Amino acid sequence: MANARVRTGGSAWSAMRAAASGIAFAMLAGCGAASDDIKPAAASATAASNALLTIGYDREPDTMNRYATHILEDIQSCVVEGLVTNDEQMRVIPVLASEIPTVSNGGVVMLADGGMDVTWKLRPGVKWHDGVPHSSADVKFTVDAMLKGDWKPESTDGFDRISSVDTPDSLTAVVHYKEVYAPYQMQFARGTLPKHVLEGRDINTANDYNRSPLGTGPYRIAEWKTGEHVLLEKVKDYWRGPGFPRIERILFRFIPNTNTRINQLKSGEVQMVALVPWDKVRELRGLSALRINRVVGNGYEHVTLNEKRFAPFRDLKVRQALAHAIDRQQIVSTMLDSLVEIVNGPIQPLSWAYEPNVRTYPFDPAKARALLSEAGWTPGSDGTRTRNGQSLSFTLITQAGFAIRENIAQVLQQQFKDVGVQMNIQLIDGTSISSVWFAGDFDAMLHWWQTGADPELTLFFASDRTPPAGRNINYFADDTLTRLLYASDRTADQTKRGELLREAQVRIAELVPELVLYNTAKIDVVPANLRNFKGNPTNAGPFWNVHEWEFAATPPAR
Amino acid sequence: MLRFIVRRAAEALPLLLIVSLLVFALIHAVPGGPLSLYLENPNVRPEDIERLRRAMGLDRPLAVQYWSWITAFVRGDWGYSYADGRPVLERIIERVPATLQLVGVSTIGAVVLALGVALWGVQRRTVDRVGTLAAIAGISLPVFWLGLVLQLLFANWLGWLPSSGRASFTGGDLHDRLLHLILPASVLAIAHAAGWMLYLRGALHTTMATPLVQGIRARGLAEPRILLRHALRLSLLPFVTVVLLDASIMASGAVVTESVFAWPGIGSLFTEALARRDYTVLLAFLMCASVTVVVLSFIADVAVQALDPRTRSAA
Amino acid sequence: MASFTLLVMLAVAIGAPLVAPYAVDALDLAHRRAAPSWSHWFGTDELGRDLFTRVLFGARISLAIGLLSAAVSACIGVVIGTTAGYVGRWVDALLMRFTEAMLSVPRLPLLMIASAVLAPSVPMLILLVGALGWMETARVLRSEVQSLRSRDFVSAARAVGAGSPRIIWRHILPGVLPSAVVAVTLAVGRGILLESAMSFFGVGVQPPTASWGNMLYQAQSTMSSEPWLGIFPGAFIFVTVLCCNAIGDGLSRDRRSAPVSQTGAR
Repeated sequence: MANARVRTGGSAWSAMRAAASGIAFAMLAGCGAASDDIKPAAASATAASNALLTIGYDREPDTMNRYATHILEDIQSCVVEGLVTNDEQMRVIPVLASEIPTVSNGGVVMLADGGMDVTWKLRPGVKWHDGVPHSSADVKFTVDAMLKGDWKPESTDGFDRISSVDTPDSLTAVVHYKEVYAPYQMQFARGTLPKHVLEGRDINTANDYNRSPLGTGPYRIAEWKTGEHVLLEKVKDYWRGPGFPRIERILFRFIPNTNTRINQLKSGEVQMVALVPWDKVRELRGLSALRINRVVGNGYEHVTLNEKRFAPFRDLKVRQALAHAIDRQQIVSTMLDSLVEIVNGPIQPLSWAYEPNVRTYPFDPAKARALLSEAGWTPGSDGTRTRNGQSLSFTLITQAGFAIRENIAQVLQQQFKDVGVQMNIQLIDGTSISSVWFAGDFDAMLHWWQTGADPELTLFFASDRTPPAGRNINYFADDTLTRLLYASDRTADQTKRGELLREAQVRIAELVPELVLYNTAKIDVVPANLRNFKGNPTNAGPFWNVHEWEFAATPPAR
Repeated sequence: MLRFIVRRAAEALPLLLIVSLLVFALIHAVPGGPLSLYLENPNVRPEDIERLRRAMGLDRPLAVQYWSWITAFVRGDWGYSYADGRPVLERIIERVPATLQLVGVSTIGAVVLALGVALWGVQRRTVDRVGTLAAIAGISLPVFWLGLVLQLLFANWLGWLPSSGRASFTGGDLHDRLLHLILPASVLAIAHAAGWMLYLRGALHTTMATPLVQGIRARGLAEPRILLRHALRLSLLPFVTVVLLDASIMASGAVVTESVFAWPGIGSLFTEALARRDYTVLLAFLMCASVTVVVLSFIADVAVQALDPRTRSAA
Repeated sequence: MASFTLLVMLAVAIGAPLVAPYAVDALDLAHRRAAPSWSHWFGTDELGRDLFTRVLFGARISLAIGLLSAAVSACIGVVIGTTAGYVGRWVDALLMRFTEAMLSVPRLPLLMIASAVLAPSVPMLILLVGALGWMETARVLRSEVQSLRSRDFVSAARAVGAGSPRIIWRHILPGVLPSAVVAVTLAVGRGILLESAMSFFGVGVQPPTASWGNMLYQAQSTMSSEPWLGIFPGAFIFVTVLCCNAIGDGLSRDRRSAPVSQTGAR
């Protein structure tokens, strides 16, 4: 999970906005010769060429440096490719690597001292956009830059378990880990830093690179107009061959306000919007120029129950009762227009480690009431249950400005009230809320975790991984589970690791540390005639195969 | 006169000092500093947070942080944005043209509208009634609501105008830029014209009733002439003061309007910076806003002193 | 006319539980986003709640914020304005610098930051909006007090040995009352508008409590498909603020030019 872009909150499309930034390097004339006939509005109606794709994008990037940014890397991923990425089925696929190293293909070797060697074979013939060959030296340089300590990447997770990198030849990098690191496959999903550009420099202030990074990808940054847009143009000698990429230019227009973004999509001012909120989809149905692309997501919306702060949550019966009190089917079929699927645990259906056969908690208010009574909570005069003078009343926090959550919180409030549980709602803005939960300063929280393709759970459920050491904000402690999770982390063999994780999922479902609601399906709305758009369940983003995209009205380029 | 200017300028300095303290204290009281966004990523560990906190100088006592900020600020070193590491000054300056354009156009529009309605109203009772009513309605509209409704009407239903942004990517030409400007500028102009019109109308009615104007009228001058030559002249000064002050507040960003129309001005910079807890940018924004207001009200004061014979003799 | 409408609005707000046809928080997910009809005059919202009921209950919150925040502003404004105007000298200078400092920072950004500091509840919003809305009142009162202070009857009162509190209470305050009333009336409208603007950025009244501002905020995402969700609360805000401003305008008509300035929520 080294490269998991994990987001709580609806931050991807929320009120939070990325900082504006950037100076346009490598200026491309804004109104070039060909620009008259590619007005976006006209393009969306007929889209007769591969000249331009206009995207309404919610947040302006802070930096184009993939390792330093802390918002989604959609734009960056068109320019800087990883050694691997994951596809729409969440399979890890090689990009700049020629294959994925595994135990069975000999790419991963366990060492007697508890360490691990991972051998990355790089794809031959790949060049940086300036013509310099991409090599194992760049892999080594990237690790060294991480470990040197004076650079401010967002996270050095995984990298800090690496002791050194050997480069026996220009296309082979042997990464030595001090201990077994199961999520090694995604270690370089954010790509490598070009050694010949950044060597000996302070990467924090290398703004030529941070604004317009040198990559190996299908596009390069042609113009970045702060507060307005980023324009990508295709590179000439892309390593996949002369047929790629097919679309000449891609324009990301920054439109932070969701309603405005959707309105522009409807009016044809932009042709595509990634990550459309579920409650917005119905407005876009029936528009013939658009196609709604939905993939199962790798995140799950749930109610975190903070056992440290609100003691009654420590009682299994109370947690089970709350689970039975929620009518998830109703929430999904009404509020979410059936766009998402109900799930029952933290690992999502697309993952190779997913375990479908776990205990579930169907909607059953009678059972919920019975469980609460068994646990000693009896209804008081106002309908709220009490025990020993304490009333079963807590406050749920969730992100302000995220309409679906605000509404679902109110439905939960009603459904809990029906079984005698009083729940208050407090909305907190997207930035404040992270410091609130990090401090454990809440009773319950409605939110999601969005993780990378690796199914690590330790961070969220191991008893010693409460903040600041992790994200176990349920403050949930179970020795059996913790043991299973750490064992899974130290198992690089996928089959064995999968068994441990499946066992862990069964255990989690038994103990209901949190109330799982539904899978966070990802919905991208694209032009109806855009071919090969596939979407992506993780925050790796839908641009992983942007080189294949093309408009159907024109014959494929050669 | 010179003494007045010096005194007024001397007063402005402690004022700005108070503002700086106020603003600094407030911003640092906001929960979730610039680092809280990093928390969203579970792979960012406490070591990472500590490392970043030290690197950003956020581990020092608040008083120290204030002192180092204000001394540097005065010297013109506004620091770097926490969000993207670029100089704060650069980030603010690049947003200025968009805001100036929006505020300039809407101010001119609003002044013309306010002047026209007020002057016509002085001569025609019905126009005055309708104009006043419309103006009171104008100041009673929630601005974002007006923006959303106009957007819906002209961009979504009628399709005549672009719904937001400053320009299409392809058409950087004048025509395209004007089309983009119409909706946000109209919203701002309507909101301001209404208030200004009421103000000017009040001032005009007062001056029309003064002995001076009554005397002129008694001499038999034509009514439009009285209005333009005398009454307007007397009422214009306080009106200009109000316009100047409102415009200076607008110059610090029409936060709502810019947000509704995705206008890349100072106002949207503020909302972005607030969401990111980008302390340096927020501080610079609020200081710039205050300085603009202080400077413009200073100019307005001086102008009134210099031009109005009544205050001159009174002072 | 305006006063009458406002009074009706107030009466309805107070009597909301009696007048409202439905329970204010009764969810009905089977009838979400229903268009206006005989059973739901204003239609229903995202959660199937009766919009008419919510508008009535919203009136309580919105009017409370408008009226009480205006009262808070008035109190602060009167105290600061009168003190500055009456005492004069360095007290005046200090208070006026502070007033100008508060005026020179743009109000909405300030409110947004302040409400990020203090988690917004209705009383907190009232205090916040009130605490940032007194400056105009203070300025107007200060200059009025200054001119009253030098009048003959005040000098006469002082000559017969009346103390300052007595002079302020008996002679100054009654004199500035009309101006204060105008300022407060206008502040009511401004308070309601500020609440709605804050709600637009999601820092206003928290659900499930209904206010006109947060109803509008929730409606903005469905403006094109369910316009009634926005039209009704918007119309109520508009009419109420219109009434306040009309009353304020009427009151100030026979006085000097109207100090109508609503700057802050743009």
